[in-house]
Amino acid sequence: MVSRVMASLAEGHLNVPIVCEYKPGASGALAFSFVARRPSDGYTIGHAPVEIAIVRSLGYADIGPSDVSLICLVSKTAPALVVHPDSPWQSFEDFIAAAKAEAGNIVMANSGIGSIWHFNILLLEQGTGARFTHLPYGGSAPALVSVIGRHSDAAVAAVGEVISHVRAGSLRALAVFDAGRAGVMAEVPTTHELGYPIGAPAWSGFYGPAGMPAERVAMLADAFEAAFGTAEWADFCRELGMEAHYLGKEDFAAFALEQQRFFESRIPQLVRLEIP
Amino acid sequence: MAEILAGLSAVLAWQVLGFLAIGVCLGAVFGALPGLTATMGVALLTPLTFWVSPEQGLAMLLGIYCGTIPSGGIPAILINVPGTPASIAASWDGYALTRKGQAGLALGINALASTTGQLTSIAFLAFLAFPIASFALRFGPAEYFGLTLLGVSLMAGVSGGHVLKGVLSGTLGLALALVGLDPMTAYPRYTFGMSEFLDGISFVPVMIGLFGLGEVLVQISDRQAARASAAAAIGRVLPRIADAKRMARATFSGAAVGTMVGAIPAAGGDIGAVIAWEQARRTSSDGDSFGKGSLSGLAASCSACNAAIGGGMTTMLTLGIPGDAVSAILIGALLIHGIQPGPLLFANNQAFVFSIVFPMIFASLLIMVIGILGAKPLAKVLSIPAPWLWAGIIVFGTVGAYALNNAVTDVWAMYVAGIAGFLFRKTQIPLGPLVLGLILGPLMESNLRRALILSRGDWSAMLTRPILLVFLTATLLSLLWPLIRARRGAAKRSQGRIPDA
Repeated sequence: MVSRVMASLAEGHLNVPIVCEYKPGASGALAFSFVARRPSDGYTIGHAPVEIAIVRSLGYADIGPSDVSLICLVSKTAPALVVHPDSPWQSFEDFIAAAKAEAGNIVMANSGIGSIWHFNILLLEQGTGARFTHLPYGGSAPALVSVIGRHSDAAVAAVGEVISHVRAGSLRALAVFDAGRAGVMAEVPTTHELGYPIGAPAWSGFYGPAGMPAERVAMLADAFEAAFGTAEWADFCRELGMEAHYLGKEDFAAFALEQQRFFESRIPQLVRLEIP
Repeated sequence: MAEILAGLSAVLAWQVLGFLAIGVCLGAVFGALPGLTATMGVALLTPLTFWVSPEQGLAMLLGIYCGTIPSGGIPAILINVPGTPASIAASWDGYALTRKGQAGLALGINALASTTGQLTSIAFLAFLAFPIASFALRFGPAEYFGLTLLGVSLMAGVSGGHVLKGVLSGTLGLALALVGLDPMTAYPRYTFGMSEFLDGISFVPVMIGLFGLGEVLVQISDRQAARASAAAAIGRVLPRIADAKRMARATFSGAAVGTMVGAIPAAGGDIGAVIAWEQARRTSSDGDSFGKGSLSGLAASCSACNAAIGGGMTTMLTLGIPGDAVSAILIGALLIHGIQPGPLLFANNQAFVFSIVFPMIFASLLIMVIGILGAKPLAKVLSIPAPWLWAGIIVFGTVGAYALNNAVTDVWAMYVAGIAGFLFRKTQIPLGPLVLGLILGPLMESNLRRALILSRGDWSAMLTRPILLVFLTATLLSLLWPLIRARRGAAKRSQGRIPDA
């Protein structure tokens, strides 16, 4: 969805049509490998979600941000912790206290082992000392449904994924895992404010095969930057609860590598935490 | 009342009707081509709707959705290749009718029962949305497990007499469903180190291969037989009144089953149609004819897979939760048009509900007209010389398998499945159970394991859940039913009241 909207906005600037192809599979690993193998002429580029910095640590594919030409980053979205509105936990502190009091008593639905939101739950356990019973689902939507239907107690998913349910009163948001508050849920405190500096946001950007000529990268980055500046992009991000966030080539590369190091250092230790 | 009129008048603008018609026609094409699914149709065309007004865009997307599923039954009936996974059950009786020279009638029933199913489910959506949605929300892991267990137990029913071979085929389907990342631990299983297998075996290419390519290979190998039946008659399109009356019960109970199953997130028309078909078979006085060209069997499955549309929309609109993959994309499309599905929308904005209901009614009627008028021309496919038809099926199957995920692996999967389908048919191992196992396996496994996580590994705790108990009872009945019936039949025969049929 992000890539399609971005493509339609950038087309005008590039004066060529952009054809979007879906390549699902293995957290994006198949798509990353596919793009990396294409000719580096700038005519095949990919949309890279945060998973490009994760798949190697998970062993899905031997590819990472340093194996491709990063172009730019266009959006970022923070995770949020939600519970059922009828649950006894009114605040993040209540919730953590309950989770510490009886380890494993709270059932935490996640959007799949190895997904970015699952890591955030593990970071939450590590950062606060709370312990949950993990209930994996295939994606955020069914995980949230299980909280709404009271089959599990809590879930962590993107602000944009929970916002509609929070507005409708079918979920209660306890915290956003970020340094600053989310624009669409300004009333919800952040973990940083509450004294737990945890959280790994999801982000998304564009990349091409390694060795793309610098002027092609610059041209594409300009087109995406122009698309980024449009009112349509701002509207789209607001609707989906994402933060429109732009990083140019160098900043994106530095950020993506730092993310990869973060996941490489944390995943082995978090996975140990998961499977005793 | 004012809301109903407002909804109706919004649809009656010619631009809206025009986009609706375009959507229905595009949907009909997507549905009829195996490999191109309703999900893909809606996903590909969603960006196109950004440039039109929300009413027009919505009408087009709903048109695609309502057009795809009925037309998916057309190739299922004519060439035994389901156009969408939802029409698998339709191929069992539909293709049997075609082989009997009643292709026209099968297409006519498909059109009529599909629209009946859609309209019934739309009525549920308009008047009973909240009760249905709250029922759907009660489905936790244990209930899903019960539903899928019931589905898997139908293997015997869809085996057409070869029960043991059916169980073999179904178990193979379940085994294939294990390939890919373990749903609970994300540990790769049976992937042979290839990342292509991490997401498991894609179901659609396997379906195209087993049914499409497999059938082609069988026909090629029995060349003589194929030529004899090539002069296939089309026959009448509309059913006789007496037949229609006899199908009515199966059609409406199929619609009710389809709506309920469709409303449950992650369970869609494919599962709904199989359950409705089996339910119609079990309650029919003529259950033995099911799978051999039963009109009621075809009507039940067509009605149910279409009713799942209204069921899925109900969950999506009332709870903001996608009922299936198509409504998940529709939620995204609505968000982009500034519409937020969920309880607030449904309670505060009745007019909006009708702005969904009316386009669906129109789309549903339009696809029925297309289906009935198109039956005779479409059935001409059967008079194409067999070699041309075979070549066409192979080409479309290959393209369809690739188009699904743009992956060559899927094409290979399609060919391997095709050869397997050929061998299965030659050895009279039924294919239905394999497909059931492959569809239901992942849902059944992951939900059983989730249920056990929730009950802390205690199997007996699951038995306290009423919905699960209903499913377990139904499963037991469906397994024991053939035995009971055989005994009853024997008793009756020994009394000499029923002549041996």
